Amino acid sequence: MSILFTGRATGAAAKKISLLRRFIMFWLNHARQAVASLGELWRTPSASILTIAVLGVSLTLPATLHLLVKNMQQISSSFTQAAEISLYIREQTPANQVQSLVAILQADRDVAEVIFVSKQQAMTEFQQISGFGAALNYLESNPLPDLIRVLPKNTAPQAAETLLQRLSSERIVDFAKLDIDWLTRLNAIVSMLQQAVAIIALLLLSAVLLIVGNTIRLSIMNKKDEIEVMKLVGATDAFIQRPFLYTGVWFGIFGGLLAFLVVELMLWWLQGAISNVTALYKSDFSLMAMSFQEFIGLLLIAVLLGLAGSYLSVRRHISAIEPTGP
Amino acid sequence: MLQFDQVSKSYPGGFVALDRISFRLEKGEMAFLTGHSGAGKSTLLKLISLIERPSAGRVLINDIELSRIKRSQIPYVRRDVGIIFQNHRLLMNHTVFDNVALPLVIEGFTGKEMVKRVHAALDKVGLLDKVRCLPATLSGGEQQRVGIARAVVNKPPLLLADEPTGNLDPDLSKDTMRVFEAFNQVGVSVLVATHDLGLVARMKYRTLTLKHGRMINDGLLQYQEPV
Repeated sequence: MSILFTGRATGAAAKKISLLRRFIMFWLNHARQAVASLGELWRTPSASILTIAVLGVSLTLPATLHLLVKNMQQISSSFTQAAEISLYIREQTPANQVQSLVAILQADRDVAEVIFVSKQQAMTEFQQISGFGAALNYLESNPLPDLIRVLPKNTAPQAAETLLQRLSSERIVDFAKLDIDWLTRLNAIVSMLQQAVAIIALLLLSAVLLIVGNTIRLSIMNKKDEIEVMKLVGATDAFIQRPFLYTGVWFGIFGGLLAFLVVELMLWWLQGAISNVTALYKSDFSLMAMSFQEFIGLLLIAVLLGLAGSYLSVRRHISAIEPTGP
Repeated sequence: MLQFDQVSKSYPGGFVALDRISFRLEKGEMAFLTGHSGAGKSTLLKLISLIERPSAGRVLINDIELSRIKRSQIPYVRRDVGIIFQNHRLLMNHTVFDNVALPLVIEGFTGKEMVKRVHAALDKVGLLDKVRCLPATLSGGEQQRVGIARAVVNKPPLLLADEPTGNLDPDLSKDTMRVFEAFNQVGVSVLVATHDLGLVARMKYRTLTLKHGRMINDGLLQYQEPV
């Protein structure tokens, strides 16, 4: 609407078009400007590629670290499954008392599995594995105690600890052992890594913000004359800044895609080496790749950072450019 | 239409560019603004196009005081005032069509309506055959006319021109002035700043003459044949 001349219909309002059509035109215009911004990037390929490469690398690192933490968590959770309580039985305990304890434990609601290992069984196993073999025959008596191995239902360290306390108070139990220290240590290390990764990711993502902001600032400076002309013929700041915002979005999309490709390439490269290692450890560990949700999340973060970076730049610099004269 | 009421403009450092200027340009009137360079012609045009604000006095367009226009409203005011620049100020890496279409794109025109208007504007300045050219491939006079087409494409009620014949030979200057006359005849108010006194006198329009920021003449200028 014209401010100075009432009744002078201007622009699209001059044509009486339906609301639906105007709605469609709005999106059409945005799509057109988005494509125009893409064309603008295409016209300066070397500069665009450099910027996108920098963004890609900056996004690859947090994505890789995220995958690292994710896989670490997978490993540590598979270790947690193995939490097992060993109950060593007092010497000279009658066999029937031991058997009744085994029966009680089997009926216990917190216990998943009970395995009884008698001192004779333990001895033969020890002879086989240790390699002392015949030397052990020279022992006067079997020094090994009877052993009950208990797998708790709830394998979390806290729950296992409580069960341990309860079982060690059994009369015939000499002492109960739960090798849980290394587990809590592992958990602590994983959470420390997680925090370190979060900080590094934050730094790298703010680098993305600054890179986009600076690139957009340079292209605004390059187009100073054009912006002045547009302002002189009545363009609003919003109109002028739109192509730059789209450029930021494109930077985000391409940077995000590049980061995804690099991560996938890296995983593919490492797959062989990792399967070698896991084969040696007889583990069924398999490297987890990026899920579809994570891919979308990566792209979304990249686009939002691109948009935010260009918005910060555009806010500062476009209003600062004022035409100086006809 | 356009009214200056005791308008002064001084710049930091004490330089007075305009000193208590008052005049009125009616709807559909055409006038020249002359004076030596530095007399304040450009400053006066800048006050109308809101590039500068006056130090004192009031500038009114259609009885609306420009000092009441907020910064965010300036673009909408500029859409009502067509401006032709001495150095064309075209977008050199866009075609003639894109240059002329710019004010329409800004106002949200699309498709056939836009093409129709751009072609009509280019037709008026006689450049319809150059629609796909880049401005750099055109002559100075043609570039100037592209600038005129851009200024009139959205049919503004007020047209300002700053030295539109500055770089043109006499014949082209005359043609350019004819174009302005043609717009004036369809009801557009036109204010042309120029130092080409011979041309001004021959055209027999109201002439405002500035000297050191003061209005020294308002009316017809007597033509004197150069010796």
